[in-house]
Amino acid sequence: MKNMPNLLEIKNLKTHFVSKKNTVPAVDGVSLSIKQGETVAIVGESGCGKSITSLSIMQLVPEPNGEIVGGTILFNGKNLLECTEEEMCHVRGKDVSMIFQDPMTSLNPVLTIGEQLMEVVVHHQKKSKQAAYERAISLLKMVGFSNPEDIMKNYPHRLSGGMRQRVMIAMAMICNPSLLIADEPTTALDVTIQAQIIELMKELNDQYATSILLITHDLGIVSEMAEKVVVMYAGQVVEEASVEELFSNALHPYTEGLIRSIPVMEGERKELYSIPGNVPSPEDFPDHCRFATRCSKAFARCFQGQPNLIQQTETQFVRCFLYEE
Amino acid sequence: MVYSQTKTNMEKQDHLKSLLQVVNLKKYFPMKQGVLLKTKQYIKAVDDISLIINKGETVGIVGESGCGKSTLGRTLIRLHKPTEGKIFYKGQDITSASEDTLRKSIRKEIQMIFQDPYASLNPRKTLKKTIIEPLHAHRIFLKSIDRLNRVKELLETVGLDAIHMNRYPHEFSGGQRQRIGIARALALQPEVVIADEAVSALDVSIQAQIINLLQRLQTDLGLTYIFISHDLSVVRHISDRVAVMYLGKMMELAATEQLYGNPAHPYTQALLSAVPTTKGSKKERIVLQGELPNASSPPSGCVFHTRCPMAMSICKEVVPDVKAIQPNHYVACHLSDI
Ligand SMILES: Nc1ncnc2c1ncn2[C@@H]1O[C@H](COP(=O)(O)OP(=O)(O)OP(=O)(O)O)[C@@H](O)[C@H]1O
Ligand SMILES: Nc1ncnc2c1ncn2[C@@H]1O[C@H](COP(=O)(O)OP(=O)(O)OP(=O)(O)O)[C@@H](O)[C@H]1O
Ligand code: SF4
Ligand code: SF4
Ligand SMILES: [Mg+2]
Ligand SMILES: [Mg+2]
Repeated sequence: MKNMPNLLEIKNLKTHFVSKKNTVPAVDGVSLSIKQGETVAIVGESGCGKSITSLSIMQLVPEPNGEIVGGTILFNGKNLLECTEEEMCHVRGKDVSMIFQDPMTSLNPVLTIGEQLMEVVVHHQKKSKQAAYERAISLLKMVGFSNPEDIMKNYPHRLSGGMRQRVMIAMAMICNPSLLIADEPTTALDVTIQAQIIELMKELNDQYATSILLITHDLGIVSEMAEKVVVMYAGQVVEEASVEELFSNALHPYTEGLIRSIPVMEGERKELYSIPGNVPSPEDFPDHCRFATRCSKAFARCFQGQPNLIQQTETQFVRCFLYEE
Repeated sequence: MVYSQTKTNMEKQDHLKSLLQVVNLKKYFPMKQGVLLKTKQYIKAVDDISLIINKGETVGIVGESGCGKSTLGRTLIRLHKPTEGKIFYKGQDITSASEDTLRKSIRKEIQMIFQDPYASLNPRKTLKKTIIEPLHAHRIFLKSIDRLNRVKELLETVGLDAIHMNRYPHEFSGGQRQRIGIARALALQPEVVIADEAVSALDVSIQAQIINLLQRLQTDLGLTYIFISHDLSVVRHISDRVAVMYLGKMMELAATEQLYGNPAHPYTQALLSAVPTTKGSKKERIVLQGELPNASSPPSGCVFHTRCPMAMSICKEVVPDVKAIQPNHYVACHLSDI
């Protein structure tokens, strides 16, 4: 894994929402990289910019206000930000595909599941209708449907939340992409199907060396699937670590708080720990450490400037004054 | 254990005292059929469920995707018309109450947090409107300043910034939208909240914040929750009792400690074994063999027999009844007869 080239390399990405009233710096200088065959997870507080980061890779940042205002996104060495819309159409769905957080917003309500799945295959792989049909059926089976023929004929609103999510997963995997971006792919799924989907993603990863960018708040899944974890807070990366380092030796106070909040399956049921206070809104990010008002370890310096991302081990980086000389 | 004993006694009391009761509830959806097909086929989304919910308790509902959890919730608040069975709220039969009657009682007193926050929010309404309008419609506060203050207070409790009141749903992140749905459900000061995957899109810290909030409201105001979730650790944390569903049917119902510590149904046992954890190294999962059968043609006998590691010959033929194997511990499985 170490010597593999980077498949995706994001450098200093800035995606802002600009309106007459204000600027919302939703993604504010994010850098991260994924090697071929690697699974990288992004975790972080709701609203910290995970989805907007992934939508930026696909160049599907919500119009009209959203705009990528800085940075580069290299995919196989090519800067996606310099691609034409036509070139991007080719990349999307074929080289890079995405499982969106909101299945209903990305499924077309007036087309059957079958029509939507087959469309993707016919469009990207130039296959016959019959071949597309068979491919669609086999994918639906893989995501745990016992009656794929019936599902193909159904419309999205007749399916349960988890069934829609599985259709989305099938659609994202149908063309064997080299990068799969999965934004909360299993939020609506029970543990048994979740297990099946995780196995499926691992298989894809093993067999075709598919790289996976996994966005999830489920730290159990992170520990099971990812090699590397990127922790985001308020539009920035605050820690990057191997999955072992993250769970045994988290460095950033925010990461520590996050791990402490996991509800457990054993032992007494007491009040759950949650990090006190709320995340600042992007329009008024402070010009000091963004976690300072909630951090139990904050000291004078934390309110005076912004910490930098500092390398600690070969694989671990942290943005916190506790680790700056 | 003392706790579940008191619950049992409560159940033995006059059923009219229970807050919400469903008796043999069924919800079937007709399937689209070919022109030539004469016999109608149905998806048996909820198939003969009976359940009593007491004031001030939290009942968790778990089960595989498509097993009918959301349909059960939606039928309870009469968003779906039940195919068969009865629903009582505060002793009153609401199974076929008119929309007018419903508006006066359960449309305010029972609130649902919907699974798909985006689809359940009106894209053309700002956050402020979304929460203020029901307050207005149900005349909760007469002065507009009070309504506005209520909105601000609610947003704060779910961790949203009041400066975003004039934003539209699409301008929020997934987890922020989910919290809008929670704020809206709590706005009317309901007695019962049906929470359908209400914290599934939230990171663990905000999840903890919301769960603590729900529990605080329960202690202070005696709220009753039906908590639908696939997250077994969250369900364990919040629920007094847990119901396990499979293919529209109830497989097991027990006090939380009992269900997690001593699951009696093979399906519950399989579910509990599949939970991912952050402790220890990457483990091999026990993936349940076979697939969830089709809800339009469920297996004969015990609906779980096609995947059950313990299945016996009787299981293919005879539907197991829901039986109490202990006070307050109900199981639908032939093994409990042996
Ligand atoms: N169209 C928009 N206009 C203005 N702000 C927006 C818009 N879309 C998103 N935002 C803001 O950008 C920030 C980042 O949003 P994003 O969807 O990336 O969060 P996230 O990390 O995916 O959160 P979650 O875990 O809740 O899904 C949020 O604060 C959100 O309110
Ligand atoms: N409006 C509808 N029309 C037809 N079938 C429906 C409708 N709503 C639900 N169903 C079907 O009923 C069954 C149960 O669906 P339901 O949404 O209750 O499942 P669920 O347990 O909530 O699943 P999930 O965990 O995936 O949300 C599914 O087979 C689904 O396809
Ligand atoms: S820089 Fe200071 S406030 Fe920020 S995380 Fe580190 S210790 Fe806490
Ligand atoms: S009744 Fe039979 S098939 Fe059903 S759960 Fe029990 S042992 Fe398994
Ligand atoms: Mg998101
Ligand atoms: Mg559901």
